[in-house]
Amino acid sequence: MSKDSVVIAGYSETPVAFKSGRSAYDFAGEAFAGLLEATGMAKAMIDGLSVTVPLSECANPFFAVYMAEALGLSPSWLNYGGIGGCSATGGVARAASAIRDGQCEVAVVLSADAPSTNWAANYGAWRGEFQDPVGIMGPPAAFGLLMSRYEHQYGLNYEALAKIAITQRKGALLNGNAYTKLQKPLSVDDYMNSRMIADPLRLLDCVMFCDGGNAFLVTTEGKAKELGIEKMVRPTAYAEVTNFKGDDPTADITETGFSQLAPKVFGKSGLTPDDIGSFHPYDDFTIAVMMQLEDFGFCPKGQGSGYVMATDLSYQGELPVNTGGGQLSAGQPGLASGGLNLAEAVRQMFGEAGARQVANTKTALVTGIGVIPYARNWGASAAMILEA
Amino acid sequence: MSEQKNQRPVPKANRFVETEAFWQGTKQGELLLQYCPDTKQFQHYPRPISVYTGKRNLEWRKVSGQGVIYACTIVRVPGPGLDDRLPLSVVTVELDEGVRILGNVLNAAPDKVAIGQRVELAWDALGDDAQYPGFNLVEA
Repeated sequence: MSKDSVVIAGYSETPVAFKSGRSAYDFAGEAFAGLLEATGMAKAMIDGLSVTVPLSECANPFFAVYMAEALGLSPSWLNYGGIGGCSATGGVARAASAIRDGQCEVAVVLSADAPSTNWAANYGAWRGEFQDPVGIMGPPAAFGLLMSRYEHQYGLNYEALAKIAITQRKGALLNGNAYTKLQKPLSVDDYMNSRMIADPLRLLDCVMFCDGGNAFLVTTEGKAKELGIEKMVRPTAYAEVTNFKGDDPTADITETGFSQLAPKVFGKSGLTPDDIGSFHPYDDFTIAVMMQLEDFGFCPKGQGSGYVMATDLSYQGELPVNTGGGQLSAGQPGLASGGLNLAEAVRQMFGEAGARQVANTKTALVTGIGVIPYARNWGASAAMILEA
Repeated sequence: MSEQKNQRPVPKANRFVETEAFWQGTKQGELLLQYCPDTKQFQHYPRPISVYTGKRNLEWRKVSGQGVIYACTIVRVPGPGLDDRLPLSVVTVELDEGVRILGNVLNAAPDKVAIGQRVELAWDALGDDAQYPGFNLVEA
């Protein structure tokens, strides 16, 4: 590590709440104040800000500017991230570029949303004419289609999806930030008996829209040390893709953007799947976790069910996955979602995960997913490798 | 008051791009999709340019409406306009022309619908004498 290396030198996360009655600004403030407290850093040091577009406030095109005002910041670099669940890792990567370009030195990557309190999104575009009339009102139906095709091509053991849900739920039981009503154990029967939403997608395959926020401090190693900060991790590889296979009208929808990103991030970092201390895949649906296990080479494509059944994915296991419960069991804080997976990765590497602490804190792999397009796989994918 | 059951809202045309041809086609029972003559490929949903060339050289052409179910689900949760339609068979159809379209299967119980089945164009009533393209299983 050199003094110019860009690092994540702090994180903060609010508890996840449902219908909290609070705004994205309020959650952002809580996460931001928590970040200052965790790092001991003075607010005046911050000269860069990345804000995630939230479902609850996206009707305001100046949300990021309003956020700077709300927090009393005058950043020389401002980013407004609109790639949904990729915006947190994407914000860190963009902050790193801005720091290397000299546009700022100390950036905060801030994601907060409260869609279970206030829904302000209207996707517009083609959906009114070509998607709504068909009855696809949101991601569950699109994921039902995706799962059906995956099952057709590779076979799908629902007990493996149940195991993902159950294992992550065990992590949420040890996570004080998880939404309280999700903090009860799950059984295979609970999963199998949960109601069908969009066959073969069950309720317990899905996240629950909640409210919450998170914040990350991005700076150089030298600056962090100058500020008296000792704990930090390096984002050593990042890759993203938007509108994956967008010009292929008959693309295999079981092929995800991660199939393209995995060789890039492993190539850049020089790591292999065996080197990953903990894996924090974006988990809006259980099948997304399984497909990412395949895409990142933890198992061959199409063999996710068998791999999950044979592998301990808990914090004590061979491959710890979403150790704090992930979004599935902590609750999805709207489009601040990607920061939930990232916060858990950094927390684990800082050795601050308490009762669910993993053994290998040298590396972590974090991902993001954004937007469900028309009749295809998800539209945006992002992957980041963190090293101690 | 006439029967309420099929009074589904008629989508507003031309809000995203010019889609008049598609909606005129529905009135004649024809499915017209956007076609890029430079690459001889269809694209759906319609776009402001050809996603293959980046040019605005686009036509609307009639497709056969015949194809194969590529993916299928059954929507079971309520949503706007879905109240009397559940459980609803939702499918991705790969048309013989090499383009995919989302639709509903109209002539079979949702649990009889499966990937690989042949389908043909069928029409689903909306309100105001309008109709929307859907599909029937060829061997129901």
